[in-house]
Parts: sequence; structure tokens; C-alpha cells
Amino acid sequence: MLLGRFMTDLQYIQVPLWYLPLLVLIPAAVAAGVVSWLGRRARTRVVPENDPDWSVPPLTQGRGQGTSLIHRWDVRCKILTMLAYSFAVASLRHLDAAALAVLFSLAVLMVARVSFHKVMLRLAALAGFMGMLLVVMPLTVPNHPGDTIVVFGSLDWLGVNVRGGILAATIAAKATAIALLMEPLLSTAPLPMTLYGLSRLGVPDMAGQMVLLSYRYLHVFTHEARRMTAGMQARGFAKKTNMDTLRALANFLGMLFVRSFERTERVFDAMQARGYKGRFPDPGQLQLRLSDIFIAGIWVAAGTGLVFFDWLKG
Amino acid sequence: MGTIIGDMPIFCVRNLCYAYPDGIQALSGVDLDIFSGDRIALVGQNGSGKTTLVKLLSGLLAPGQGDVLYKGKSLDGEHLNNSRLNIGLLFQDPDDQLFGHTVIDDVAFGPRNQGKSGKAAALCAKQALHRVNLEKLAYKEPHNLSYGQKKRAALAGILAMEPEVLILDEPTGNLDPGQEAVFLDLLKAFDGTLICISHDLIFLYELCQKAVVLHHGSIHHNYTMRELVSQRSALRDHGLDFSFRMTIPAIEMPAHEENGKNGCGALSDADAGALNNPSGPLPLVRLENYGYVYPDGTPGLQDLFLHIHEGEKTALVGENGAGKSTLLACLCGLRQGSGDLFFKGTRMTRKRHKDLWRRAGLVFQDCADQLFCASVKEEMIFGLRRLGLSTDECRHRAAAALARVGLAGFEKRVPLHLSGGERKRLALGCVLAMDPDLLILDEPTAGLDPRGEEQLMAILETFDKTLLLVSHDLFFIEKLTHRTLVMHQGRVIRDLPTPVFMQDDKLCRFNGLSFSYRQRTATAIRQLQHEHEHRHPHLHIHDHTHRHGRTVHAHPHEHLHDHPHRFVHTHPGGTKTHDHAHRLVHDHDHPGHEAEPHDHSHE
Amino acid sequence: MHISDGVLPLSVTLGSYAAGALVTAWSARRIHSRDLPKVAVVTSAFFVASLVHIPFGPTSAHLLLPGLAGALLGPAAFVSIGLGLLLQSILFQFGGITALGANAVMMGVPAVICGWFFQQFKGSTRLRQAIAGGLAGALGTALAAIFLAALLVTGGEDFFGVAKIALAVHVPVIVIEGVVSGFTIGFLARVKPALLQSSFQDAAGSVHD
Repeated sequence: MLLGRFMTDLQYIQVPLWYLPLLVLIPAAVAAGVVSWLGRRARTRVVPENDPDWSVPPLTQGRGQGTSLIHRWDVRCKILTMLAYSFAVASLRHLDAAALAVLFSLAVLMVARVSFHKVMLRLAALAGFMGMLLVVMPLTVPNHPGDTIVVFGSLDWLGVNVRGGILAATIAAKATAIALLMEPLLSTAPLPMTLYGLSRLGVPDMAGQMVLLSYRYLHVFTHEARRMTAGMQARGFAKKTNMDTLRALANFLGMLFVRSFERTERVFDAMQARGYKGRFPDPGQLQLRLSDIFIAGIWVAAGTGLVFFDWLKG
Repeated sequence: MGTIIGDMPIFCVRNLCYAYPDGIQALSGVDLDIFSGDRIALVGQNGSGKTTLVKLLSGLLAPGQGDVLYKGKSLDGEHLNNSRLNIGLLFQDPDDQLFGHTVIDDVAFGPRNQGKSGKAAALCAKQALHRVNLEKLAYKEPHNLSYGQKKRAALAGILAMEPEVLILDEPTGNLDPGQEAVFLDLLKAFDGTLICISHDLIFLYELCQKAVVLHHGSIHHNYTMRELVSQRSALRDHGLDFSFRMTIPAIEMPAHEENGKNGCGALSDADAGALNNPSGPLPLVRLENYGYVYPDGTPGLQDLFLHIHEGEKTALVGENGAGKSTLLACLCGLRQGSGDLFFKGTRMTRKRHKDLWRRAGLVFQDCADQLFCASVKEEMIFGLRRLGLSTDECRHRAAAALARVGLAGFEKRVPLHLSGGERKRLALGCVLAMDPDLLILDEPTAGLDPRGEEQLMAILETFDKTLLLVSHDLFFIEKLTHRTLVMHQGRVIRDLPTPVFMQDDKLCRFNGLSFSYRQRTATAIRQLQHEHEHRHPHLHIHDHTHRHGRTVHAHPHEHLHDHPHRFVHTHPGGTKTHDHAHRLVHDHDHPGHEAEPHDHSHE
Repeated sequence: MHISDGVLPLSVTLGSYAAGALVTAWSARRIHSRDLPKVAVVTSAFFVASLVHIPFGPTSAHLLLPGLAGALLGPAAFVSIGLGLLLQSILFQFGGITALGANAVMMGVPAVICGWFFQQFKGSTRLRQAIAGGLAGALGTALAAIFLAALLVTGGEDFFGVAKIALAVHVPVIVIEGVVSGFTIGFLARVKPALLQSSFQDAAGSVHD
């Protein structure tokens, strides 16, 4: 391993072996428990079925139900600012800057007063990838001069590189900071409005309409898939690791596609029958006010501040 | 958009032919005139070309040959674009039509395409939603609506465009009788031209004046609705004879009051009998204080105490959303609720619950949910293999079940390519092959044409095990079951012998199960179909081989007869003594006619 | 597996956004503009299909389906996959919004390649179509895994370990995906062969305007 080459420049922290379960296994177990609990709770709240993964959280309910600053913010400003800010956060390299970004996002959450439950769902979705990074990176990052390695008792081969841990934690913090912003970005205006904002920003109209259509038919196909699963279960189908299962699932997918293509044709017919000629009508008017630009200014300042702070640290 | 001058038809179809790209000839030589204000029922067997004709009328397909003229001009180019805004087409599945993000967005889609501003379109949409009584749900996303609500929202999307022509494809499919009545009233209130596809002649009889019968892609009859329903033999020829449904005694009698009383008396007896019956044979299914709560907190089933005995034929009725499907899902192990479920006396624990599929077989409402294999044989084997049977046994049972549902020899066919009735029977066959103790049918007649219903009925009548039938179809309930459970809001509120349920008009109307208009209409149709034997001179048109001197030939020709015969005919006055002279050409069997000597002129 | 926010260097996220936009434009031009709503509806079916979990020993894997999407949709697959990923990102937070370009390239380019591969080698018999479908399915996932590893490696030496593990994790998925895709194509070849002609390309069809 690389361990030998940099041996001299590395700083070792020797801890007794029994720290290993304490420092690694217990947090890992707790994290796994929390994540699975969150996931299960989230799913049972949303789906009235036993196969959990087809839940589709509603993005917006009704119209203008919130009155917070973010809700009233012009949707074009919101998208532009938040996207630019997200990229700024994604470019950070230091843990403390990333942590600041998380704090800022939390503050925004407070202001926007969005559903805490949905925010939690998003974090739960992140947990898998982030957990993987947090476990893998400390163990696989090459040791550089100046790195601190934690060694448990006599287990030399299990050197935990603190730098790797910090790197993973920085990524996790950045991802969290951005994920926390998604809920204020998306659920403070009806989805069609947000997409209309995008189209006014130069994204082709059709793109937004396609998102809406996909979103709508997601629910329809989810129900179809559920009923088909029930149909298979009613004849004794249960998933196992074998060829029969794969074949049955392939049939299931095949039927799903056949039905979806047939439905696609019918939906298209229905659209044409009501006068669709390749364009969708616009959803409404947008008006830019001074306050919109002011809020955007605050965000830009925050983003620039973060990047500058990050740059100061080298 | 010109105005209609004089008697010019709004639709003029001439020698219309259409073949699908895969070569199937859907329509051939169709001629049809539709006048403004007509209300036309488009009937025919599944696959007779009704939907194709409707698509051609609304310009979704282009004629392969011949013409479709709307207001005198053929449907293409700019005229088509304009016409689409005047021809409303309501699809069978409301999910095909509701593609908007919210209900109001969707309803406003048409008016926006008509060139209205955002505000004007929203106003139109709101008015249309008010007409269908959905204004409260305007900002909901369509997937949050119930099926009946979706159906009405889809109609609102059409009405908002104020169409001159309204074309409906199976408007009542999957609706419960209460919602069906609501829908019927909405459609009756529409004052433009109306074209309606349906298999439900009772519904059509209420809604339409004219009837067009399609048979294998061509028009066979084009006359009034009254004439159509009164001619049994014509109905029969086109697989539309629903009069086998009319033999229900319950529908005949108008003496409701007395029966109502009887019903109430019998009701309490039956309740007592079914609920407190600890002695006697062990019930096949026993539910004790059974409940089911959806994970989101809505109660699906509550306080269920229910016994179903071996061999019992039970019907389960209730409005959409009453909890019928949830109960079925619990009974065949797809869901597990609280409380106790006993099967043949064994309590179904969580583990045993997973094996309920071996004992209870469910035939789904929509076959597409149940059929997912590439061939009929695989489809049959799928469940049997999971029972752990040997290959030989599988093959044997599959063949037996296929024969039982009248699909012998279909092994190599693709289930997706079968007709609606065949698919239904295949789904039933798959379940029967697994030899369940309890057979559950969820709305077996949905989407079937009358011939398909008759074939299904024939199979089910020979079924001798325990049957649980969920249906809105009074005829199937009457014919197949002895006991009826009425569900409402997750509870079984009545448990009666089926004849009592049938006679209890009040109960039928209870909780949105208004069957009353159907009964009224059925009685009216029965009067139209009045049949008795009588004798008077009448004409026959025959086609049979006969001899004229040396030539033997066959051709249709007329004879005048005078002999006693039976036939179905109307009694306009309803009196016993009536005159049959106004219908000289009669349509009845004429056995032994070929042997009779006869003579006629040949030009 | 989707890449989250903050993993890739800024230059790579922006670069892959640009690349994604270019390929999307190419892909959209291969579709008749009136057919775009159809692509949207079909996308939701693929989305639902990709949520199906397949048991694998004690754990389960969900399908990625780039190969199947490519085989059924042809060049339209890129638009479809981009749309699907956007929805996954905004609905479920699977894959970050800043990494959307990278994710789209990672899944979409293999899909288009597989689509080409499938159309080239599908032949005319059902068996051959199923085999070509299976190969396309396996190839799609393998390519996606390689793209993923390559993208991760742009983060520098520190990400080599993560990239290796990501590759290793995908090996069983490649096998499962190949088998399922093969069976699915075989099923479609029997039941609805018209779907194997990569839809939406020759748009005219039977609908007139």
C-alpha cells in the first residue's frame, strides 16, 4: 500500500481497538437506523400500499397557500439566484465554508416555512450516497504528507485517514446545503409557475410542458404498476433471487411499456381533439418588482461571501 | 364555421373505408348522415369499428377511402383545426384526457386553444366545473380525484369548449349506478348533437333517440332507439341482445310498497341469521372485528363481522369507494388489516396471510392488470407453477381450465391480442385452474359486450364452489348469488338474501346505489319487447333454395302468409286488444317453410 | 447510482451541463416536435419501471434501464432520460440539480449507443432480438458504470477508491439488467413488435394534421 511511502510525513493517532466499534460501528448503526426509520415513515405517510418505492410526493398543493418572503419572490429571480447559488456552494472546498452554507440553507428553510417532512424525505434520499462516501473515503483516500491517520490497536491495515473523512463530510455538507434549498425553490410556487419562469428565462417552452406531463403520468403509471403487481401477487408471485423472478419482472416491464405506449397514443389523441397544435397555452403573467431584485441581491452576496471565504482558506 | 342551412347534415359520411396500418379492415363502405341535434347511439360488438368511426368523425384518423364531411367540408387542414374546437370527444379512460397539472388547468386547456385569454378561459373552466359540480376541487391535481370525479372533470374539459357535437366513448364504464345517474343527467342537459358509444342499452335508451348498429365495420341498421330495442332478433344478430337481462322478476313488478315492507322484515331476520350463527358448519371465511386503515390514516374497512359459508354465492354491492376492493384485497392476501380473519377455521396469521392466494382467487376488474405473459399457455402456467405442481399436472389443469372457459386451442395465442371477452375468460380460466376454495370476481362485466356477458354468465352458472361477486350489475347479482352484502363507508350495512335485496327499492336507492332509473327503463323496454302469439296475414322475406321448373336457385323473395306465430312487438296503447296491421313484414322463425310449395314471379 | 451535488469539480459539472445540452438538442431534433408530449408520457413509464426493485441475495437493486430505453426510443432516449433524471432530482433528490448534466450524460449517452447497437444487431428472429436486447441492456449499464467512474475520477486521486467501489457495485447490476432487458425485449418481440422500431423517429404515422 501507499502507507509505507509517506510513513515519515504522516501523523498517527493510535487508539485502542475497542474504540473501533465505538467510533465506527455505533454511528454507522445509528445512521442506518435513522435513515431507514425516516424512509419508512416517509413512505407510509405517502403511499397506501405495501410496495413502498413508488411513492410520489406531491410538489405543490393548491395555489398560493404560503405567504412567506420566498413564496412572494418572483419565480424567475428565484430560479436564477438559487441555481447560481447552488453552483457556488457546489464549488466550495472547505468544510467550514460548507457548514456555513448549511446554516444559511437552514435559515432559508425557516423563512420559507416549507414542509419539514418533505425536507426530511430529501435528506433521507441523499443518505445512501453520502453514507457510502463517508465510509469509503476515509479508508481509500491516498495518504498525503501531513495527513492524520487513526489506527485502531494493532489493526495497521485499517488506517482511517482523517483528511478523507473531512473531504467526505465537506461533500455531504455541500449536498445537504443544496438539497435543503430544493424544497424552498420548488414548493413555494406551483410547479407550472416555476416551469413557466424557466421558459421565460429562455428554456424552451416544451421542456416545461414535458416535465408537467411526465409528472402527471407518473401517478397514472404508478397506479397501473401497483395494480399489475397485485395481479401477480394474487397468483402467488413473490420476488426471489432466481430466473423465474427475472422473467416475470421482465414481463411486467414489457406490459408496463406496452400499456404506456398505448396510453401515450390516447393521450395525444385527447390533446389533439381539444385543439393541441404543438404549443401549450402560457400559464400566466409575471411581474418583476424591486423587492425581488433586492432579495436576489442578498443571495448573491451570500454566495459571493461563501466563495470568498472559501478562497481565503486557500 | 358556417351556419347550417336547412336540412344539411352536420356530419356526412360517404363510402368510408379505413384499414389500420397492420392491415385490419376496421370500416368498409360506411354511409351515415348525422343532423344537428341528433342523439345517436353507436352500438355493436367489441371490435365492430365503433371507436374507429368516432376517431374518423373527430378527425383523429384520416379516411383511407371515402369522405367525412363536417358542415359540408372534409376534415383536413384549417377546417380540421377549427372543427376540433367544436367537436368534443370524451374518452373512455379519464386519465387519458386529464393531462393538466391541476383540474382547472386541464379544463382551461380547450378554451385557451380556442383563443381565449387566460382569465376568460379560467372563467369558462370554472363555469364548466360548476356544471359538473366539481368547483371545489378545481385546484387539485387530477390523481387526487376519485374515478367518478375524474370522469366528470374530463367532461367539464369538453363542456368548457361549448362544443356543437359531443362524442362519448363508453361514458358509464366503471361508474357506480349513483354516479351513472349523475352522468346521465349531465348528458341529458347537453343540447347539441350527441354521439354515444356504449354497450349499455338501458343507458342509451334513456339518452338517445337514434341508433346506429355497426357490424364488422359496416352499418347494419340505422333507425330509432325504440325500434332497435324492440327487435330482439336484430339485437341477437349483432351480439347485442341484452334482453336476457330482462327476465328478472324483480324488475317486472311495480308493487314497491308491499315489497319494501317485506324487505325490512326479512332484513332483520337475515342480519340475525348471518351474524349470530356460531353453530352449524364451519364457515369458509370468517371475519371478526376486521378493519383496515390505509397508511395515510384513512379508514378503509371498519368493524367487519362476516361469515361466508362453503358453497355460498354472495354478492357485494356498494358505491365506488365503499371499501369493496379493499375487502377483496384483504381476502386474497394482498393487504392485511387488523382483527381476525379465519379461513376454514384457521386464523390467518401474518405468515399464513401471505399464502391466502392459494385459497382465494381474484379476477380483477381490468384484465390488463392480470394478464402479463407472452402466450395463453404461459399465462395459465404462471400461477400453477407457483402452487408447486408438476409440469404434467400444470399442463393437464391448464388444458382443463381453458376448455372450461371456452378457450381450448388458444394455447399459443398472445393474451394481449385477444378480444375483451376472451381476455376476461382467460383471466377467469387462470384463476379457476388454480382451483381456489373462494372465487372472487371484481366487476366481471366491465367493458364486455352483451355477447361476452352471456358467455361469461354461462361459465359462472356452472361454478359450484364459493363465489363472491362484486358488481353493480343487478342482473348478474340476481342470477348468480343468493345473498347480498351492502357496503357503505367501509362497513357492511346490510346482509340480505338476494331476492329481498332486489325487491327493496329503498335499499337500492340507499347510499348512492340508485338503480331506480334502470329499473324504470328496463320496464319500459320490456313493454316495447312485448311478445305473444297471434295470427294475421303478414309478409316474410325468405332466402332459400327452391325450384322453378328446371332451375334451382336461392334469392330473397317475399311471401304472404297467414299462420299463428310469436314475435316481439310494441303495444303503443298498452291495451290487450291491438292491431298488427301496421307492421306487415315480420321477423320470426319459420320452420318447415322450405318444404312448402310456393310460387312467385321472377323479373 | 446518481451523482449528488458537490461531488464533482465545478468545471466538470458545468462542462457536462454543456455536453448534455448539446446532446439534448441533437436528440430533440431527431424527434418530430409534435411527438415531444408522447416522449414525456413514455418517460414516466420508464421512471416507474426504474423504481422496480429486483432482489439480489439479501439486498435489492433497482433497474437503471439505459439499454432498454435506448432500444425502445432510439435517439429520443436521451431527451427521455434527461427528463426522467430531472424529475428524480426535483421529486426525490436522487442526483443533485447541479450534477444533472453529469448524470444525464452518464445515463443518456450509453442509452443512445445501446439504441444504435440494438437497431444494428437485432436481426429479424425473436431469439436474436432478445439476445441483442440483453446485450444492449448489459452494455448500457456497463457503460453507465464506466462513465460514473470516469466522472468521479475527475475529482482527483482521492476519488479513485470511490470510483473502484462504484464499478464493483455495478457488476451484479449489469448481469441482472442484461437478463431482464433480454426477457423484456423477447416479450415485446412477441407481443408488440412495433415497439422495437425505436419510436418517435419517423413521426408521421397515421395521424394527419
